Amino acid sequence: MTNEIKPIGMPKWGMEMSEGEINAWHVKVGDQVNIEDDLVDVETAKIVNTVTAADNGIVRAILAQPGETHAVGDLLGVIASVDTSEDDIQAFINSYATNSEVVFIEKAPTMTEVANESSTQVEQNPSNTDTLSGGEDDSNVSASPVARRLAADYGVNLNNIVGTGRHGRVSKRDLEAAVTAAGGRLISSNNSVPNKAQQGDDSDIKATPVARRLAEELGINLLECRASGDRGRVCKADVDAAAAMKNKLPSQVAVVAPNTSSSESQTISSMRKTIAGRLQASKQTAPHYRVHIDAELDNLLTTRKQINDANTDTKVSVNDFIIKACASALIRVPAVNVQFNGEQITHFSDADISVAVAIKDGLITPIIVGANNKGLESISNEMRDLSTRAKLNRLKPEEFQGGSFCISNLGMYGIKQFDAIINPPQGAILAVGTGEQRAVVRNGALAVATVMSLTLSSDHRVIDGAVAAEFMSVLKGFLEQPATMLV
Amino acid sequence: MQQYDLMVVGGGPGGYVAAIRAAQLGFKTALVEKQHLGGVCLNWGCIPTKALLRGAEIAHTLKEAENFGFTIDNLSFDINKLVQHSRSVADKLSRGVAYLMQKNNITVIDGTASVVDKCRLDVSYEGGVSQYRSNHIILATGARARNLPNIEIDGDLIWGAREAMTPSSLPGSLLVIGGGAIGVEFASLYNDLGTDVTLVEAAERIIPAEDSEISSIAEKAFQQRGIKVMTSTLVESVEGAGAQARVLIKGPNGEHQIKFDQVILAVGIRGNIEDLGLDNLGLKTENSFLVVDQFGKTNLAGLYAIGDVAGAPWLAHKASHEAIICVEKIAGLADVKPLNKHRVPGCTYCRPQIASVGLTEAQAKDEGRSIRVGRSNLGANGKALAINEGQGLVKTIFDADSGELLGAHMIGPEVTEQIQGFGIAQQLEATEHELAQTIYAHPTVSESMHESVLDSLGLAIHQ
Repeated sequence: MTNEIKPIGMPKWGMEMSEGEINAWHVKVGDQVNIEDDLVDVETAKIVNTVTAADNGIVRAILAQPGETHAVGDLLGVIASVDTSEDDIQAFINSYATNSEVVFIEKAPTMTEVANESSTQVEQNPSNTDTLSGGEDDSNVSASPVARRLAADYGVNLNNIVGTGRHGRVSKRDLEAAVTAAGGRLISSNNSVPNKAQQGDDSDIKATPVARRLAEELGINLLECRASGDRGRVCKADVDAAAAMKNKLPSQVAVVAPNTSSSESQTISSMRKTIAGRLQASKQTAPHYRVHIDAELDNLLTTRKQINDANTDTKVSVNDFIIKACASALIRVPAVNVQFNGEQITHFSDADISVAVAIKDGLITPIIVGANNKGLESISNEMRDLSTRAKLNRLKPEEFQGGSFCISNLGMYGIKQFDAIINPPQGAILAVGTGEQRAVVRNGALAVATVMSLTLSSDHRVIDGAVAAEFMSVLKGFLEQPATMLV
Repeated sequence: MQQYDLMVVGGGPGGYVAAIRAAQLGFKTALVEKQHLGGVCLNWGCIPTKALLRGAEIAHTLKEAENFGFTIDNLSFDINKLVQHSRSVADKLSRGVAYLMQKNNITVIDGTASVVDKCRLDVSYEGGVSQYRSNHIILATGARARNLPNIEIDGDLIWGAREAMTPSSLPGSLLVIGGGAIGVEFASLYNDLGTDVTLVEAAERIIPAEDSEISSIAEKAFQQRGIKVMTSTLVESVEGAGAQARVLIKGPNGEHQIKFDQVILAVGIRGNIEDLGLDNLGLKTENSFLVVDQFGKTNLAGLYAIGDVAGAPWLAHKASHEAIICVEKIAGLADVKPLNKHRVPGCTYCRPQIASVGLTEAQAKDEGRSIRVGRSNLGANGKALAINEGQGLVKTIFDADSGELLGAHMIGPEVTEQIQGFGIAQQLEATEHELAQTIYAHPTVSESMHESVLDSLGLAIHQ
């Protein structure tokens, strides 16, 4: 029966080859193989090539693991028929170990066969390998052909890789280890590189709704599919077939985090972490000082009422006026319209105003971009939408990241006056109190006016006291005479 | 002043669905209801009438039990028990809505709301008024029965739907004014329960919103059941004459004076917009309904309207659908699609039932489309004949060029449960070919849907 057992041996490719390193197996124990099927990639000092099956049968044993170096003639695995007993296989292996005379000599492969198609391929845009990409021409670096080809795919300069192979040669494993260490990702052979069709726009392809959805789910481009449905539509069976062709596995089941224990202490949310980190840094690094001013609102309230009465589809709030007035004042006093990163001051030509919105378990600052170029109505409508979506956690990052100035309004809680902490890297923040009737002295006589207290916190590293004072006085002017914002 | 992110006025199938969707999306939500959660649909419309119509169906089944070999003696009927059943179903469902509000952390405010300003709502209740502020206010106040200039619902001789579904005794003779969906349902109900029913419609056919072929089959079926159907006929006056109503009717054959024990007025509905305080806010209205954009936005900042108060079609499922898209649009969800009125199915629960979706044949022709029409008569449907309900039709209308299903019109047993098959086909933009290739189970009434589609292709097997 032993004549049915066939060895997989380390081949001898050329006269100089005395040993080879196991690179990767294409088969596993139990697989059916046919003559000429790829079995294992072996890397020598010169080339990487694939050992193919000399016989049909079942892979019954694999004796050499990737990374191991074996002498020519060593037994790497065993192919046998399915009905060969384990005892016979073991006996064959044992007898083989003592019989070192068997030597496999095969013709040397041509260099074009070196390419290893299957074991590992690259993501379309490998990420985080930038640190490995720089450097001088690496064509003289000693590297295996597979490593060199993969290096090109990853965009890696071989000068940056420490070779551990013979004579410091860079092997495929060295390359992959370096890519992984740099934070890049390796993609297994199952995820083939997207071909052209996959990148094409398939939205015009006629397909049944089920087919379109399934294709999206499986990452299949409808351009890749046959259209066997009625009237040339791609149907579900076509997508399934395309998926099977690609050997595309269904998407991985998400890893569910283990239940955390019901401990009393609470890990802070990522929002809370951000608030904590940013505001602590702001308070510690930016020397805050405040200037304070009162503004009379009666004119503004009259104007607001006129606007709202005349436009049913608009509801301009006092806060909308403050946003507009700040934008106008920032354009008038551009030294306040800045960001500062500790070294550089950035001046902005437009006023992108962040407005603090209280949300569940925190706050967020959506931005009215270019508020200086917008009318009250569009500021008002935009603000309503932003604050609605802020409360639902539906803001996009670009809608709350950035901004050149910040407004925090606690007037609706009846707060008379407060100080706010600068939202870095911005240079200043305005704290707005409630508008309330107060006794004021005019021309030596007591009168009643609606008054609002405003406090500007500024970073003294970039905004000096006189600048802040000028800004506040301009702002007061706009709020007390809103028509002047029209100029 | 209390503050919410979103407030809903009205707890019907538009309002309570809007509140739940809003709460799901994270809005701090409140719902104001002046009477019953569930609205007219659940308390005084769809649901309790279906409970009554089940009684009518049983009455009909008992009548024809003889055909199936049964002899029933000493049959008696207590209408109070039927009304009691109807009311208990309504109560149960209303409590179900209350539970849903609680489960979704929605504050339910009992009282009558009025919009006092943009984003401001006052709710008055016995002994006070509470003020609320909300960035988004959705009006879902519904609609109520319309009166005629010369005939008004008095709750005594002249009933509206509410009185008609809580009778204390069965009238001997009944005049139903209005042959729309509500009118024919009451005509069918009282006829089955044993009342002598006359149905009067001003248009030239009953259920004028449906395809004319459906109307004529319904009219024939009604007349066979003993309902007197008078079309192109107006009711000039209704006067009390002792315990009866003396009614002056003017039709193609001149004027007649007829006496009835009872009159039901069902001549359409009007929007509930009067007590909302909208007069001073410059809100756009049209024939008592609020004018809104395709996502329910009115011309007043922060104010929205959905369901009956926002106009036709006046159907609960249309209100619920509008509720979802209105709230999702406010929340800024991507891909919110406006409601397509041609895909809102309509169901009338008379006997035989009527269900339809999309364009009638006349509407499709008016749009200048070239169409393909298929018909399948239930007289050739085995299941329909087996249950002794062989009267009916399935009519399908396809665009001859694109194969799009433009409309489907059904009359027959349980067609209200079948129409969604055509609705799904429309939504998936199936053509007559997909429908033709679909395998329909045998024996079912719905096989006639298939047959109708085949007929549109000239491939009908059974006719």
